[in-house]
Amino acid sequence: TILHLPRSFEFSQKKGILVPAAALGVGGMLVCWLMSRRKIKTLEMGDGWWGAGEKKLKEDERIRPFRIETSDKEIQDLHRRLDQARYAPPLEGAAFHYGFNSDYLQKVVAYWRNQFDWRKQVEILNKYPHFQTTIEGIDIHFIHVKPPHIPPGQTVYPLLMVHGWPGSFYEFYKIIPLLTEPAQHGLGEDVVFEVICPSIPGYGFSEAPHQKGFDTIAAARIFHKLMKRLGFKEYYLQGGDWGSQITTNMAQMLPQSVKGLHLNVIFITPRSLGRLLSVMIGAYVPWLVGFTREDVRRMYPFVEKNFNFILRESGYFHIQATKPDTAGCGLNDSPVGLAAYILEKFSTWTNSSSVQKDDGGLESKYSLDDLLTNVMIYWVTSSIVSSVRFYKENFVHLNILERYGIHVPTAIAAFPEEVTHIPRTWAKESIKNIVSYTYMPRGGHFAAFEEPRLLAQDIRQFVRKVEQL
Amino acid sequence: SYSAGIMLLDILVTLIVGTVIYYYFLSRKKEETLPFKEGWWGKGQKPDTEEDATIRPFKVETTEEELSDLFRRLDQARFTEPLENSCFQYGINSVYLRKVVSYWKNQFNWKKQVEVLNKYPHFKTKIQGIDIHFVHVKPPRLPEGQSAKPLLMVHGWPGSFFEFYKIIPLLTDPASHGLSNEHVFEVICPSIPGYGFSEAPHKKDFNSVSAASVFYELMLRLGFSEFYAQGGDWGWLICTNLAQIAPNNMKGLHLNLASVSRIGFSHVLSVLLGRYLPGLFGFQDEDVKRMYPFLEKGVYRILRESGYAHIQATKPDTVGCGLNDSPVGLAGYILEKFSTWTDPEFCNLEDGGLEKKFTLDDLLTNIMIYWVSGCIVSSVRFYKENLQKGIGTQKHDKLTVQVPTGIASFPNEIMHTPQAWARKKFPNMVSFHYMPRGGHFAALEEPELLAEDILQFVGKVEKQQLWKKK
Repeated sequence: TILHLPRSFEFSQKKGILVPAAALGVGGMLVCWLMSRRKIKTLEMGDGWWGAGEKKLKEDERIRPFRIETSDKEIQDLHRRLDQARYAPPLEGAAFHYGFNSDYLQKVVAYWRNQFDWRKQVEILNKYPHFQTTIEGIDIHFIHVKPPHIPPGQTVYPLLMVHGWPGSFYEFYKIIPLLTEPAQHGLGEDVVFEVICPSIPGYGFSEAPHQKGFDTIAAARIFHKLMKRLGFKEYYLQGGDWGSQITTNMAQMLPQSVKGLHLNVIFITPRSLGRLLSVMIGAYVPWLVGFTREDVRRMYPFVEKNFNFILRESGYFHIQATKPDTAGCGLNDSPVGLAAYILEKFSTWTNSSSVQKDDGGLESKYSLDDLLTNVMIYWVTSSIVSSVRFYKENFVHLNILERYGIHVPTAIAAFPEEVTHIPRTWAKESIKNIVSYTYMPRGGHFAAFEEPRLLAQDIRQFVRKVEQL
Repeated sequence: SYSAGIMLLDILVTLIVGTVIYYYFLSRKKEETLPFKEGWWGKGQKPDTEEDATIRPFKVETTEEELSDLFRRLDQARFTEPLENSCFQYGINSVYLRKVVSYWKNQFNWKKQVEVLNKYPHFKTKIQGIDIHFVHVKPPRLPEGQSAKPLLMVHGWPGSFFEFYKIIPLLTDPASHGLSNEHVFEVICPSIPGYGFSEAPHKKDFNSVSAASVFYELMLRLGFSEFYAQGGDWGWLICTNLAQIAPNNMKGLHLNLASVSRIGFSHVLSVLLGRYLPGLFGFQDEDVKRMYPFLEKGVYRILRESGYAHIQATKPDTVGCGLNDSPVGLAGYILEKFSTWTDPEFCNLEDGGLEKKFTLDDLLTNIMIYWVSGCIVSSVRFYKENLQKGIGTQKHDKLTVQVPTGIASFPNEIMHTPQAWARKKFPNMVSFHYMPRGGHFAALEEPELLAEDILQFVGKVEKQQLWKKK
């Protein structure tokens, strides 16, 4: 038998051949394993300087407490501009088909002028602790909310949440308490977070970059430096809109620091012929190309939902990605213009059928106080121009997801009214470790703002899975 | 096998005959006229009473209140610093814009400019429910035995009737400007409804065919049964539609922009191979020089420059809102076009090269027309009304133009249309010239060049007409 064969060799010869062979075999396997680990290409971190003029030698690394303030002068200037606003009447029967309806806009502005209380809203903004710190030459603003009471032995997970455009850190104000003190809100106390919400440079109270080229990769690197400065080695990330791209870059750059990545939006470039084919086939035999029934419901009719709708809704993207300073100029000078431009997105990206309504369905999911507070953040910081420049700076990097993939544990919360639906079968081509993919029952693009509880629950179940609780 | 052969032949012949008939039919269809578009654009319900068809003289006016409101807004303008070394690459440069605003506040004299505007006679008349504004300039003197030829000149966006103020004297009084007075014109420059002093339509769906129909009624009301038309930007499309609606009334069509909206397989093929086999596709040397490298000049350039058209064609009321409320925002938005569409290289200059070809007085007068009339929102709605169903999908896109056509192709126009492509749409092409210099705003930037081209074109058309009569 075969078992007798080795015995036919001389013992010394066996040692002479088998041992080196075994060593080679094990060594080879080790090398393969090591190489396969390194095969996960990480995104290069690089470095940057965004301050005015020449790079300074030493950076002030202090974390300074910060308070949002306002003044009579600021409010009076705003009121004066609201009073002198010039409107053009909408076409008869236009609703929101031509953009923000100016008849409804006048109602919003009347509320803004007479009932909206900016001083009160500033107090609300200041209820969480704000800070600023200088990184790569610019002041980075963030809020840092710790749980008010931590039961003994409770782990507190650090969670960085990144906003997008035309949003801000303020979008997270309703979801933060559900994450930092879940027990107070009817959620289990097994998963508790301390939440950090920065403002992307160029947005809100973060200084705008002075140099060209500030993209999501630079933002990702700066946020890693921020977390490091705050003393965190490992943390969770959450993002939508630009926040999704930035947190994705963070996971691609430093996967060892990212315990988990939770996204409510995925950016996938519609490249391949294969995808086009799967769309055509998927219309008739969805199961063949990996589409679920819910995928089909959300994606079809494909041309209408993914082509026509995107074309109709991407004018802002096109002009901001090519002529941001032109697009932003008037918006920084007219609060009414700024409000129309921003609030139109809160209308259409929350529910695609809202264009048919005379009021754009704005107040069905949001309060005017919340919407206007977000607009005021853009207004008082004069950040609209720098915020839209981000579109031009990122124009070249749109396929970064495919090039590097995501290897950290990832969760996708797919909201039904999101601008575009990406089925799991496409997401998993680049996202290698999807721990959870949830079809959310309701909600649109501004998930944290609109459905904080749903989003919080999904984040918690994801972290539970990763931590194996 | 014999019967199988017959069957095959049968099928083949049917196919060939079928194709011939199909193409014959198709090309016949192309000679169809475009129907006149009836409409009523006034507020609310159309009244039963007859429309007031009188032509009323009009004067542009201003008030102290209007000026002080403007100055207050200029004083409170909020600017954002440009990125270091960005020139006009990110759009309008706010450092340069500050200089313009300072001139606007301290040196620009709107009262004086209003007088300049009023030097030509203005009128208004109600057509299809809205007030149509136009300038009507007759020649000061006519040579013996000659009559003035009516010439309709239509502006575009972000221009206005004011763009023609330099070229009008060259056409109404050529002799005084060193040009031949073989042909003398009386010029009619209307404002497109929704632009300048023409009332904006109150109903949806006012597109280029609507504008052409309104201007057709205008010319008839002025007593012209035969006229010439000239246009660039939206003006090219409106005048082209007019030629398709009323070919028997239009003696000649002159364009400084002609674009191809229906791209077929032959176009794609000619782009791919035209650089190497220009003769095969009818490309002249100048066509090749202006079109290639195609990726840069035909694709990237268009993508970079069409953001405004995309947002205006989808959300005009949103984008126009802030522009109607901030004169500085309006100026930045409009001036950017006068920079980049005059010369694409201007975006690398700190001042956008704006004052190389235009005076600040002229640029600001055009902007003031948008400001004082509050028409920016209605002006950008025109993009949605024309483009919302897609590019090249409308009936008029499929029809050719039978009227004698002349095209002046300026080198810095946003995209170059080669002669061979233009001839497909305008088979009765009498002249096609590659102009030596100039960009999109031809009438304002190179009035002499444009006037000369119009004159030689009209000369050719008139000669042809005489020939036909003989």
